Amino acid sequence: MSYLIYGLIFLPMAGALLSYMLGRKYKKYRDYFVSGLAVLEFVLAAVLLFQYVAGAEKTYMTRLSDICGMGFSFTVDGFRAVYVCIAAFMWMVTSLFSMEYFEHYRNRNRYYLFQLITLGATEAIFLSADLYTTFVFFEAMSFASYVWVAQDERRESLRAAAIYLAVAVTGGLVMLMGLFLLYHQAGTLEIGALYEACRGKNVYAAAACLLFGFGAKAGVFPLHIWLPKAHPVAPAPASALLSGILTKTGIFGVLVISCKIFPHDGIWETVILAFGVATMVIGAVLALFSIDFKRTLACSSVSQIGFIMIGIGMQGLLGESNMFAVRGTFLHMVNHSLFKLVLFLVAGVIYRNLHKLNLNEIRGFGRKKPLLAFIYLMGALGIGGMPLFSGYVSKTLLHESIVEYAERLREAPASAVFFSAGQMKVIEWVFLISGGLTVAYMTKLFIAVFVEKNKDPALQEAYDAQKKYMTPLSGGVLLAASLLLPGMTMDKLANLGQGFMGLAGAGESVYWFSFDHLKGSLISIAIGALLYLVLGRGWMMRQVNAEEKEIACAEGNLQKLQAGKNSADGKRALQEGKVGIVSAFLKLRSGGTVYVDRWPKFLDLCKISGAVGKLLIKVGGVAAGLLDTFVDTWVVILRKTVYRDYSKMGELKEGNGFTYVLGSIANFVCRFMNRTFWRRHPRKTDYRHKLALEYWRIRETNYLITRSLSYGLILFSIGLCATLIYLLIGAVR
Amino acid sequence: MSEYWILATILLPIIGGILTPLLPFKNRKTMAWYLEAIMLTTTAIVWKLLLNGTTEVFHIIHFVEDLSISFKIDGMSMVFAGLVSLLWPLAVLYSFEYMEHEERERIFFMFYSTTYGITLGIAFASDLLSMYFFYELLTLSTVPLVLHTLKREAVLASRKYLYYSIGGAAFAMIGLVFVIIYGVTCEFQMGGVLNTALIGDKKNLLLWVYLLAFLGFGVKAAIWPMSSWLPDAGVAPTPVTALLHAVAVVKAGVFAMIRLTYYSFGTSFLQGTWVQNVVMGFAMFTILYGCSMALKETHIKRRLAWSTVSNLSYVIFGISMMTPLGLMGALCHLVCHAVMKINAFFCAGAFMQQTGKSHIYEMDGLGKKMPVVFGCFTISALGLMGVPGLAGFISKWNLANAAVESMHVQAYFGVICLLASALLTALYMMNAVVRAFFPKRDFDYSSLSGVTDPGWKMCLPLLVFSASIVALGLFSGLLVEFFRDVAGIY
Repeated sequence: MSYLIYGLIFLPMAGALLSYMLGRKYKKYRDYFVSGLAVLEFVLAAVLLFQYVAGAEKTYMTRLSDICGMGFSFTVDGFRAVYVCIAAFMWMVTSLFSMEYFEHYRNRNRYYLFQLITLGATEAIFLSADLYTTFVFFEAMSFASYVWVAQDERRESLRAAAIYLAVAVTGGLVMLMGLFLLYHQAGTLEIGALYEACRGKNVYAAAACLLFGFGAKAGVFPLHIWLPKAHPVAPAPASALLSGILTKTGIFGVLVISCKIFPHDGIWETVILAFGVATMVIGAVLALFSIDFKRTLACSSVSQIGFIMIGIGMQGLLGESNMFAVRGTFLHMVNHSLFKLVLFLVAGVIYRNLHKLNLNEIRGFGRKKPLLAFIYLMGALGIGGMPLFSGYVSKTLLHESIVEYAERLREAPASAVFFSAGQMKVIEWVFLISGGLTVAYMTKLFIAVFVEKNKDPALQEAYDAQKKYMTPLSGGVLLAASLLLPGMTMDKLANLGQGFMGLAGAGESVYWFSFDHLKGSLISIAIGALLYLVLGRGWMMRQVNAEEKEIACAEGNLQKLQAGKNSADGKRALQEGKVGIVSAFLKLRSGGTVYVDRWPKFLDLCKISGAVGKLLIKVGGVAAGLLDTFVDTWVVILRKTVYRDYSKMGELKEGNGFTYVLGSIANFVCRFMNRTFWRRHPRKTDYRHKLALEYWRIRETNYLITRSLSYGLILFSIGLCATLIYLLIGAVR
Repeated sequence: MSEYWILATILLPIIGGILTPLLPFKNRKTMAWYLEAIMLTTTAIVWKLLLNGTTEVFHIIHFVEDLSISFKIDGMSMVFAGLVSLLWPLAVLYSFEYMEHEERERIFFMFYSTTYGITLGIAFASDLLSMYFFYELLTLSTVPLVLHTLKREAVLASRKYLYYSIGGAAFAMIGLVFVIIYGVTCEFQMGGVLNTALIGDKKNLLLWVYLLAFLGFGVKAAIWPMSSWLPDAGVAPTPVTALLHAVAVVKAGVFAMIRLTYYSFGTSFLQGTWVQNVVMGFAMFTILYGCSMALKETHIKRRLAWSTVSNLSYVIFGISMMTPLGLMGALCHLVCHAVMKINAFFCAGAFMQQTGKSHIYEMDGLGKKMPVVFGCFTISALGLMGVPGLAGFISKWNLANAAVESMHVQAYFGVICLLASALLTALYMMNAVVRAFFPKRDFDYSSLSGVTDPGWKMCLPLLVFSASIVALGLFSGLLVEFFRDVAGIY
């Protein structure tokens, strides 16, 4: 089995290099090679799962010591086996889809290289048996997936990729800090041994650091900022993986903390629950506001991660009898991975054909394309929690867990940790409303793309005529993936996954279609319908009636753009501006409504954090600049004062200080007189020069005199006279 | 007999170097082989000594009483000498191609080779006095290298370098004198040589002296506020910047600090005193400070130089923990950083030589044109950031672990500094990498036509270093084990 594990991890990594070398020569074979490798990976994963089930579901562990410092260890249990399988499946589907999607892309080689590396790293994360291994591969995954986001090399892509990297690096570092603290306190990082090792120790700080790191990847509020930026610009297969499986690695980490370090710890789970609620609501609201197909899906991912976080929180709060929460969490993870796979690939089909994602522009693309509509609906109905679809099962389980906890609190209010029974009731309603929002934004997308007609009749005709919008291969792959979704096989999956979260025994059978269970789902759907009608069709759409303004605006833009059309940027913007004008006219002609983005710009967290970051850099830069000159200043001061050279700088050209000063005064007086009394006959003498000459003459004369014989004789006779006088005085005394 | 071999390793490069401008070489190639032969011979002797050398002390000159120039091979010497002796031949190989278009090549190689011998002298010195002797020589032999281009900024930079280094050495001298007076001997012994009976109530005085000496050696290790000579010295040719100002000279400073702290004053004397806090504070500040300055810089060599400032302080931070684990972490980073930074500098040098450009914003799109150089640069960048699987991670892990284990409250802040600096490192290194590999979508590659990777002499060292970064990251077990021995952890 250990060969299987290492195969799963290192085969794609080795294959990545091979594919890169292959791709430099033969692009076609490279594509086949990558797809083949992904299929092989899935087969291996399936074998692993099968072996695990056949081998009486025993956990298996293996170690690679002496590598990378502390060595790696891997383990297989039900949860891991299932997730390894799902990851491999998602990679397989996206790889097959990529063959078509990337047909006209540049730099495909690079993409595949990093895609395969990420695959290996992701499998390793799910298989890791200690947090050190998790961390190492987590970092590898983060850096490798950076390339996906930057793949297009457009300005927005690079910006989004930079944000992605910033969040990933920061998250990774905080996580590392958490690992240091945890390792110091617990003495081990092995996931299985953590519970025993942490008992009776205060590891909240360490766990908070870890939560930050994992939460950043999972997209938990307020670290979700990278998701809505990165997804719309990344290629669709990459978005599917980012959203479907990479976020789950973060959730995996959160699960490790919650279930292995703090099982049933009230305080911790309350924190998780609170974050979950915030994430769920904010993601859903953002999704409803968005008018970009992929952005909506990205925000939806944030929201669904919130649902999962709530599940994690609930399973801790419920204590031992947390069957609903455990199974709900796990199933919702699995379901969400698959939903997003399907939905993002639908987005990929649209983008590949139109190279646009704005709802106003892609409006009506899906009309007369029943297969695409069917695939989309499978995903949308599932994620909306429609009965008969798998999303219904997981959401109902999560909902039931909240209800159960609220009821328990009502019976025994003393057992409340932070939220009281009434507050849990509120959370339940928030949960239902978020479910409603899910329905609303999914409907919004559906109606926009598959039902409504485009405002430009010509475009609509072109859309309708488009029959070859995907190859049979992609169509088949997508269909197969989407058919997995309305699953009633959920129980078996849940049985496999629950062991990881500390729940044993088969679950009691649930009557899925009892009214109690249906009620939650129906309420959600009703709320969703209402929200869509009121908000989605009302406030978030606008009648095109301000025609004049629109034209004026467009023309203004045009003029502005023509000024700067020489630069490359200007040219591109000009083209975009023209498109804008054309569409403005079209709207004019046909009337009707358009989707508008009502989300206030100042609430963009990215901008805020970016501004703060820039400010910090500025301040730090100024401070550093000052400090930089610290020693130099001393050196300069010393050089200018104590250790000054005998410099010629201050020396006068002629004369000495006395003549200079005197001459200056005389010059001043002379200037004054010239202006007043001597105005008629001004004198132009430079006294400084004159005095200097005088000084020089005197000095020369002195020189001559002092060296002359007669001067010596005079001195001699003066001395003689002085001596005689002295002697005389002495004699007189 | 092995004593004479030690002397040989020191004298061979010095004499060989001095002969370089005198010997009548027919052409460049002969000189290249002559120099490379000297380097390789020296390295071979060094490794012969390291693998089966003695730990005996060898006195060559006696001054008065027990003051002498003497050599010894202990764990620390093995680390430093081993590191330097592996890097030098490769750096010389790189220089042959790099210096092809520069003037006064022979003078350059004379000093370059001489410095090798002197650095080995520092490594093998067995007491503070001998080390001090070679430490001063190192300054003198490297000034001409900084001065090499004879441009105005080179003159200014070398002057600054000289002021700073000589000034620092003067402070270090104070420490030397006090160790001679208050120590049993001035020979290096793990755990210190201070004579407690002599100290009496003068403990505080000695702590002050330690601080002075530490900061004195800190000049070469570019600790704030004595750090600004290092980026300025980047005007020297790249082989100098890469080998001397990222490894040999600055690491000699760090090495001297280790000798001072662990082998002369002794950690038991210093641990828990105010001076430890001060020293650690300096290190932590410099870590962040170097990174911030690197972020501001757009000249590639200056940016890397500031990064060196920051990374040297990682090592100093390890030293300032004053625990065996801290020393181990410091040694780890000393070696790992040496390999990563020399690689980064060599890549930068290749970039500058092949394109004639020198700023980060001029790197757009070069990743495709110079895949080897920028591939290696990326490995270095990731390593410096501390990405798991590469050398930098191992040393950061050990350092931070030591800090957490030391139970010193300040050390916790140190860990935060390390992590924050890793973030800043990511910013300033990845900026360059991203520019090289992801130019804007409509980037015009034709403006880079004719730009290629350099020849094998420059590429080989890059590949060797990159491979060793990965190897150090993946299979660090043996090396870390060795460092544990050196640091005295059993």
